[in-house]
Amino acid sequence: MKRITDRLLIGSFAATLFLLSGAFLARPVESFSELENRYLQKMPRLTWDNLLSKKFADEAESFVTDHFPLRADWIGVKSAAERLRLQQENNSIYKGKDGYLFEKFPEPNYEKVKSYVEAVKRLAEKHPDANISFLLAPTSIGMYPERLPWKAPNYPQEKVNEYVGSLLGDSADYLNGFDFLRPHAAESIYYRTDHHWTTLGAYYAYVAYAEQMGWTAAGLDEFQIENVSDTFLGSFHTRGQFGGLKPDVIQKFTSLHPVDSKMHVVDDNTDYDSLYAEQFLAKKDQYPYFLGGVHALSTITSKLDADQADLDKLLIVKDSYAHSLIPFLTKHVAEIHVIDIRFYNGSIAGYMEENGIDNSLLLFNTATFADNGAILKLAR
Amino acid sequence: MNSPITGIFIVHYNCRKETPYIMVFSSLLFLFLFLPAVLLLYYCSPGKIRNLVLLLTSLVFYAWGEPVYIVIMLISTLTDYGFGRLLERSSLGPTQRKAVVAASIAVNLALLSYFKYADFLIGNLNEWLGTDIPLTELALPIGISFYTFQSMSYIVDIYRGTAKAQRNWIDFATFVALFPQLVAGPIVHYKSVAEQLRSRKVDVALFAEGVRRFVTGLAKKVLLANNIGLLWHTISAADAGTLPVAMAWLGIIAFAFQIYFDFSGYSDMAIGLGLMFGFRFNENFNKPYAAQSITDFWRRWHMSLSTWFRDYVYIPLGGNRLGLRKQLRNILIVWTLTGIWHGASWNFLLWGLYFGVILIFEKWFGLSLLGRSPRWVRHLYAAVLILVGWVLFAFEELPKAGQYLLAMFGLTGQPLWSDETMYFAYTNALLLVVLAIASLPYGRLRQQLAGGLGGVGSVLNLAWCGALFLLSVAYLVDATFNPFLYFRF
Repeated sequence: MKRITDRLLIGSFAATLFLLSGAFLARPVESFSELENRYLQKMPRLTWDNLLSKKFADEAESFVTDHFPLRADWIGVKSAAERLRLQQENNSIYKGKDGYLFEKFPEPNYEKVKSYVEAVKRLAEKHPDANISFLLAPTSIGMYPERLPWKAPNYPQEKVNEYVGSLLGDSADYLNGFDFLRPHAAESIYYRTDHHWTTLGAYYAYVAYAEQMGWTAAGLDEFQIENVSDTFLGSFHTRGQFGGLKPDVIQKFTSLHPVDSKMHVVDDNTDYDSLYAEQFLAKKDQYPYFLGGVHALSTITSKLDADQADLDKLLIVKDSYAHSLIPFLTKHVAEIHVIDIRFYNGSIAGYMEENGIDNSLLLFNTATFADNGAILKLAR
Repeated sequence: MNSPITGIFIVHYNCRKETPYIMVFSSLLFLFLFLPAVLLLYYCSPGKIRNLVLLLTSLVFYAWGEPVYIVIMLISTLTDYGFGRLLERSSLGPTQRKAVVAASIAVNLALLSYFKYADFLIGNLNEWLGTDIPLTELALPIGISFYTFQSMSYIVDIYRGTAKAQRNWIDFATFVALFPQLVAGPIVHYKSVAEQLRSRKVDVALFAEGVRRFVTGLAKKVLLANNIGLLWHTISAADAGTLPVAMAWLGIIAFAFQIYFDFSGYSDMAIGLGLMFGFRFNENFNKPYAAQSITDFWRRWHMSLSTWFRDYVYIPLGGNRLGLRKQLRNILIVWTLTGIWHGASWNFLLWGLYFGVILIFEKWFGLSLLGRSPRWVRHLYAAVLILVGWVLFAFEELPKAGQYLLAMFGLTGQPLWSDETMYFAYTNALLLVVLAIASLPYGRLRQQLAGGLGGVGSVLNLAWCGALFLLSVAYLVDATFNPFLYFRF
């Protein structure tokens, strides 16, 4: 019997090696991975320089790993094995209760946070007569710590939001996301598998902002709410690679009294008739459905009558949380300028002056604000 | 006009893999490109040129990670081949023979010292004497600690007459460069493979044993070591002064498991690969954590290195045959060298010396004390000393090691436990249980089981190997963390 199993062992070992090897060699080279939302390693070039600097060896290894046959399945097996051994996280993503995934939020470096708040204050100082609002939204881990795995270490985001608020003082009108989102925590205001808030969450933020600006916010009954997608598995899913998750639903809030809005993206000088990019609903990362994803600078003009518009011009400096909120603002602002602080390098104050903008909304989520050095660009 | 807009890039959330700069056995490239190719080439070649095939593929393997320093390895190999042949000339007198041995040792140690210890020496000189000698900043050629030691053992064995010089330079080069053990051991003594270089036969049973060994080693490294390594990585990254006592212990236990399964896993893979080509290398590990004393531990840990130091340093220095004082001196020398072999840094030297002192204590009266103690005391004694040793090994900066030890013994004012400790404990509990079981000497139990189960047993074993291999591949495809700790050698 042992002789037979020995032969089987050798046979299956050799077969596995040669089959997977053959499958790898036979596969066409892909350049982009939908699943991982990144470019895959290109075929390494064999030159003397590459060889001697070990760049060839390095890239060859990445190339094999990136193009390994059945890659997604292997990754899924690993994720399942991790769950079996009671691991509650994978690649810094916790698997929480009720199908929620959370991105870890460690204690931030408060020195950095202080410098970021200082940047906000400096911007306000440059424009003393401008009206600057600062909306800081928590991420899902801040809102639902009770859904974390048992004893999972977590730093409470409220502390950061409170710290920012106290440091900001009167420099800007502060909107603490916890204040207007906590009352609605039982509703679906955050995606379970992605790092963004849902359209409903963005709606409540809009209501809070409108209230602060003295506008009349549209009620929920003034919208036709449709589910444009029920297959959304977002960034947390991509990173954590957890299986058996219920996909998220993406909702579109269409006003019953719609406004004609056009978007002009300055980055590549293109124009769009709609604020929604349908083509992204067919991809893995569906969130760019809102506004077509990240642009460094874009302007949204809405056809509003003179008495309809609450504001002529508004500048929003943001991270990607603003994308699902901006459509709500088109009913109130004729011209919305949108700057993503991560990709725009000019002076914000300068831009406001050049374009005659007196009102600005800074919209960030706590995770980005606590750790992204790009925020310092606000002070330029 | 300068546009203030930067380029837009796609924000990707997948962690970029930390790719190894050399070809490790536990890599997809090795497993699915290199290994099938070598096996194919080897078994399709006629017996006479098989050593050449192994040599050439081994050179490719080495050059892959060390395209420049392969020259150093070739120099070391050629000079020792020459010295070996020279030694066998009957025309040489005893002083001349000694001179040849000294020359060979000098060449090997010079290479090793220069690449490995030069900057350590220069750094210390600069600190003590206030000089400003520039550092060489040279990278350490892979495997240099292993192949220089292997070459030196060859020359000394010929001098002692326990082996005959290899006349065929291809066979000799194969011995030095053999890819299974070139990079991380086990350190192969020439006399143990001399016969096998000339003639070896592979049958089904041997090859199957090789596959089993290789798969076990791969699983130890990828499934066990890499995963518990993540826990150590997290705990060691924190400031040791903030660690609860239990977390400090949890951390060093994680490290102890990581380094054992990493290194023994790699040795298993080396031995398994050797078997696939007909070589039987000596064992390198024998369940070291089952030790009941430090003396016992060092008869089970990295055996090829400790026997090397015994045969080529301790015994030539006189061992225990020249009186107690000389013996103590010899022990201290051997252990200082063992320590410093592991790395060009003071903590390694201290680590070696730490064990040297404990061994002296044990020889003196420790072992007889232990002999009269219950078994659990012996195990606990060994475990605590081994873990404290690992703290010295793990932190290159001695103050950090000191801080960590204080944390372990509750001297930093931290509590015993914490929520975070609980989280680390239960999310790694299953893994820790598996690690503990895998560290136990269950060899006899397994033999009895195999005997009892018979045919069913071998089928189960087959299924088990298959599962381990496939799971290892899954983790490799996903891997973002695949370091090999002993690569500083």
